[in-house]
Amino acid sequence: MEVEVIKGLKFQKKQDVAIVGAGMTSFKRRLNETGRELNYYAVRQALEEAGLTIDDVEIVVLGSAPDAFDGVHMKEEYLSDGAGGFDRPYMRYFVGGGTAVFAPIAGYFHVASGLADVCLVVCEEKMSSCHPHPQSAFKYIWDFFLDRPLKPNLIWIFALEMRRYMHVNNVKHEDIALVSVKNKANALDHPCSHVAEKITVEDVLNSEPMALPVRRLDVSPPSDGAAALVMVAAHKARHLTDEPVWVTGVGWSLDTTWWTNRDLYYPRYAAESAKMAYKMAHITDPRKQIDVVEPYDPFDYKELHHLEGLGFAKKGEAPILTKEGVTQRDGDLPVCPSGGLLGVGNPISAAMGVKACEIYWQLSYRAGKRQVAKEVSTGLCQAWGDLMQISTVMIMSNKR
Amino acid sequence: MIEKITDPEKLRHWGGKIELYWVYTSGKAGDLFFKKLKADGKFLAAKCKKCCWIYFPPRIYCPKDFSETEYLEVSGEGRVRAFTVARLDPYEKELKKPEIYALIDIDGTNGSIIHLLGEVNAEEVSIGMRVKPVLKPKEQMLGDLTDILYFKPI
Repeated sequence: MEVEVIKGLKFQKKQDVAIVGAGMTSFKRRLNETGRELNYYAVRQALEEAGLTIDDVEIVVLGSAPDAFDGVHMKEEYLSDGAGGFDRPYMRYFVGGGTAVFAPIAGYFHVASGLADVCLVVCEEKMSSCHPHPQSAFKYIWDFFLDRPLKPNLIWIFALEMRRYMHVNNVKHEDIALVSVKNKANALDHPCSHVAEKITVEDVLNSEPMALPVRRLDVSPPSDGAAALVMVAAHKARHLTDEPVWVTGVGWSLDTTWWTNRDLYYPRYAAESAKMAYKMAHITDPRKQIDVVEPYDPFDYKELHHLEGLGFAKKGEAPILTKEGVTQRDGDLPVCPSGGLLGVGNPISAAMGVKACEIYWQLSYRAGKRQVAKEVSTGLCQAWGDLMQISTVMIMSNKR
Repeated sequence: MIEKITDPEKLRHWGGKIELYWVYTSGKAGDLFFKKLKADGKFLAAKCKKCCWIYFPPRIYCPKDFSETEYLEVSGEGRVRAFTVARLDPYEKELKKPEIYALIDIDGTNGSIIHLLGEVNAEEVSIGMRVKPVLKPKEQMLGDLTDILYFKPI
């Protein structure tokens, strides 16, 4: 019998890890607060929800994407003050947009390994500082010989990927636009929303063309914001809450950064990262065993792309789930019940607030107006980033 | 053998610049601090409601125990805790006049600030020396750190 080797699974857990508190700031185009002040708001909310004080925190993980956004070099040092980052071990983790779920993964291994019993995870992004536009910073992530002479930008690269996805799977733009319509409407119930609105498929199709097929309403906005999570060992969780949410699996994987070596229509990195997390969480049929999903949705087609990569739909079939209403908040598989990046906003790493934090809130039945209709026990959040080729996955459950 | 090349431009190369600039906000506490300085020439600090540590410049939170703070006015005067005399510019050219940078503990607070010392020769500066801020003329103030020209001995 051939044994399937899954990379990254040599790890022996010392103790179970629970999430007991989360917090986030408003996501906005421009907030007056400094990054430190944003961190403070998010941390304070998370600690209050957990019933802990900063003195109880043993180790701190900071997640933040390129220094070029805030315009502060080695910004983790600048940001540490509002993140509870001194007088205790403190470390920044960074995998671009993937940080939104990688930071909690780092928090998980700090606790699961037995290194700490209480870990605070803080993610911050202040994109509005960066000019002429936050997008401008992405010009400098490309290969300086092969890509940069052509002045590429992210929208352009996503347009190629979206086109390829539509072509290979014979998907129409109107089917993709439904994702934007759903997420922006879901975000109407999120108190932190940046771009929540009631729109129609026609609005998306008639919005300003950016790099076709990508139009304005297919895209999430750059936002400022911060989010925080408190992760604790099982013996601590027992004393703090009756409704801890357990981390049951984590996974991450990178694909090559050579565009020419990837067929863009299917996110292999998402499939690989999910394989690792599913193995750890004993999930064999994600569509049946997972109740609520927060895949990374900076573009409407990316939600579909990622749902397929994560195994919730066969290749090319995620648009059918969306069309049939399965992914609505009252559907059988609610997807982005928070409103996601398309609706709540996209402060890169701080998107943790609508990914990992949202799954925690859903599974602990604290999501308020956003609470999904069905009974939930297991949820998955995923983020995507670096040079558009990393995926980070975390699976949580309210049953141990 | 590896060929010795001292001028990288002798190789096939591609020039590039990272063309970005930033617009920073001074934040909640920063706004109050600089607006007060510009409007009244006065200095604000902030006291932690829990541990009573007094921050200068002010903050909206105490980073030690994550409690809220309350604002209070301070004179801006203080004592030199440490100082250095800079004699070269960033291009290693001798400065016309040496610049004295000091770490100044601000009276009535647990905080301090780094700023220039003026109206004093480097040889006369000592640790523990009492100093007070000299502000720009009001009409030239911008609401930033350069509104304080320097600190001078009292």
